[in-house]
Order: sequence, then structure tokens, then C-alpha cells
Amino acid sequence: MRAYVYTDAGLERYAGRFVWLSINTEDAKNAAFLKRYPIPALPTLLVLDAKRDTVTLRYVGGATVPQLQKLLGDAEKTYRAKTQSNPDTLLTKADRLASEGKQADAAKAYDEAIAAASRSWKKFGRATESLLFALSMSGDNERCATRALALYPRVKGSASAANVSSVGLSCAAGLDKAHAKRVEWMQKLETATREVFHNRKIVMSDDDRSGLYMALIDARDAAGDDEEVVQLKHEWSAFLEDAAARAKTPDQRTVYDSHRLSAYVDLGTPEKAIPMLEQSERDFPDDYNPPARLAFAYRTMKQYDQALAASDRALARVYGPRKITVLTARADIFAAKGDPKAARETIQQAIEFAKSLPEGQRSDRRIASLEKRLASMP
Amino acid sequence: MRRLLLACALTLIAGSAHAVTFIENDYAAAVARAKAKDVPIFVEAWAPW
Repeated sequence: MRAYVYTDAGLERYAGRFVWLSINTEDAKNAAFLKRYPIPALPTLLVLDAKRDTVTLRYVGGATVPQLQKLLGDAEKTYRAKTQSNPDTLLTKADRLASEGKQADAAKAYDEAIAAASRSWKKFGRATESLLFALSMSGDNERCATRALALYPRVKGSASAANVSSVGLSCAAGLDKAHAKRVEWMQKLETATREVFHNRKIVMSDDDRSGLYMALIDARDAAGDDEEVVQLKHEWSAFLEDAAARAKTPDQRTVYDSHRLSAYVDLGTPEKAIPMLEQSERDFPDDYNPPARLAFAYRTMKQYDQALAASDRALARVYGPRKITVLTARADIFAAKGDPKAARETIQQAIEFAKSLPEGQRSDRRIASLEKRLASMP
Repeated sequence: MRRLLLACALTLIAGSAHAVTFIENDYAAAVARAKAKDVPIFVEAWAPW
């Protein structure tokens, strides 16, 4: 959104109507904010009412300019309203619960809002997306898939259709393989996702379209359709290269770096990522992402010394919880290189760092996962 | 001084690239400004990866 949305002149009319706050979740300065407003996925957009000390609106995921304009319009109306309709009140309550990390309670409130609303309710799409996200986050894949199937026809052709179909598909794929309805639900939601994908009337960012490619690839992979998986990966890779070639600034071009790296690695051609990542490292010499991605690319190419050199550069620049990911990736390089002692020491270093993070950034679940990994290491 | 002016110029250029101006990582400042102006706070929670 930084590269494509906030630069758009269409937002100028909202500039003075909001205070605009950017929260880098990796920055320790924001630990207290993150403790109060847990952020389970990025980006998360919030509108806060400072006078009443409450959440006015919450939306998980990126937004196009028209989507953001609608969110801002809705939020401003809610902020100024003396009273709200019943569905709107329930939606605000659900957003507040989700912002407190109470995903199961939030899902219940989103469902109540949808049930209370008329068929012409203008917030239906956002409420449905938020419902599915809350169900997914609370691990209720079965209800997530069934609600996606039931609600998709009502968002078909709208901007919300992409998230509703793809989140539903991801939930269906996440069901136990022995689940009696898993295959049937996946097929139906894959059909819906393809429908969205081919509907050129739906305004969608290239980043979001790339997300649909990933959802479709996962679905074909789960169905064991290897031929189609490879075909889709080639299409995805070409699509990303075209999007990057159309970028007007280095900022815009690097938006696609992580997806392109995934596509190249998936296709067994990680070396294709090297020039692109080296260019990004030259363009953004303080950014840890290009060297961290280079380290991964070189590891998959079995060029471990280059991988470690890139990892050194990433470690020198990284901060916040992401340092744990860079350290675990470094341990992977040592393990692949045949140096279990260094791999073990690096995981120990990651655990110490994870424990040192302030509340709001520290994750007990992540620490437990690292300790489990350490216990299983030679 | 020359370096400071250059820094200011770069800041203005960076600011003009965006239709809106964000307060960076300062929730307390955002709350104070929102209360004073009686407007809501739009928050983008993101990460540089």
C-alpha cells in the first residue's frame, strides 16, 4: 500500500479528516501498542476513536484506493454517528473484539451482524471478509469453509469476492484430509476463486492477484494435479515479472520480490532471483530483506558460503521479531552445509533473542516452537 | 547547514510523494492530535518484509 495506495491523489480529500499513524510492528517502540492491539496479520488497518478510547473499524489485508476510500468513509460516519443501526453496532462490536485478539467471539459477532442486516447492507462484503478471517484465525476451518460457500454468492463480482473465495479455499484445504466434505468444498471454492481470478471487472492489486495464484496452486497441489501446478507456477512467475517490469519506482518493483523468489524456488530456478535481489540490495542498502532473501536463494542453490555471507549482511541490518526468522534461516544454512554444531548454536541464539523481546512483540508460542526444534537437533 | 537543508529537502520530497502524511510509530502523539482536531486515527500496522 505504501508503494501504490498512499501515493494516490484520490486520498488527498481524506488527509485532514484523519490523523494518519504508521505502526511498524518490528519496532520495539510500538510494543505497548501491539500489546493493546494484537496484530495477527499484515497489513492490519484500524480506525481508532481517541476521545472514546475505542476501535471504530478494523480490516485485515491490503486495500486498493477505492476500497480504502470506502473504509475511510464508513469509519468517519461511525465516528460521527450519534446512533447506529443494529447491524452496524454489531459490526463495530465484532471489530473491537477482533482488535482485542478475541477471534472466536469476534466471529460470532460478525455472524450476528450479517444475520441482522438487510440484503442491501453496504458493509456486507467487509463483514464477510472479517468473519472468515476471524474463523480462520481461531482455527475453525470447517465453519470458515461452510460460511465462505454460503456467503460467496452474495459477494460475487465485488472486491470482497477475492478474499471470501481464497480464504474459504485455504480453510477447506486446511481441513483434515479424512474429512468427508474436504474435496467437495475445495472444488467449489476453487471454482469460485477461478471465477474471481478471471473477472477483470474486479479492481484488484497485482499483489492480491498474486495471492490468488498462490491459493489456486495450493488447491491443485492438494488435489495432486502436478501438471496443472507446474503450469500455474509458470503463469504466476510470468505475471510477477510483468508486474515488476511495469513498476515505476524501485519501491514498487520490490513489492514483488518475495513472491518472485517463491515462484522461482518452486520452479527449481532460484538463480533467476539473484539479479533482482542484488538490484534491490543496491537500491535499499539499509533494508535487511534483499540479503535475507539472497541467503534463502543461495541455500536452495546449495551455495552455502554465499548464503552465509548474505545472512551476515541481513543480520547486521535486521531488528525486532524478524531477527528470529533470519536466525532460523541461518541455522538452516548451517544444517544443510553439514555443520550441526553451528546450527544448534544459532537456534540457541534465536531463543535468547526471542525471550529478550518486550511484551507485545514476544511470542511464547514461537519460543516454544524454537525450543522444540532445539530439542530435536543433533 | 548544507547537509541539514538537503535533509529537509529530501523530507519534503518524500512527503510530497504521499497524498497523506503519517505520524511514524508514535501512538501518543497521534492520540493527542486526534483529540485536539476531533478526528479519528487511521492506523496502518505493517512490517518491512
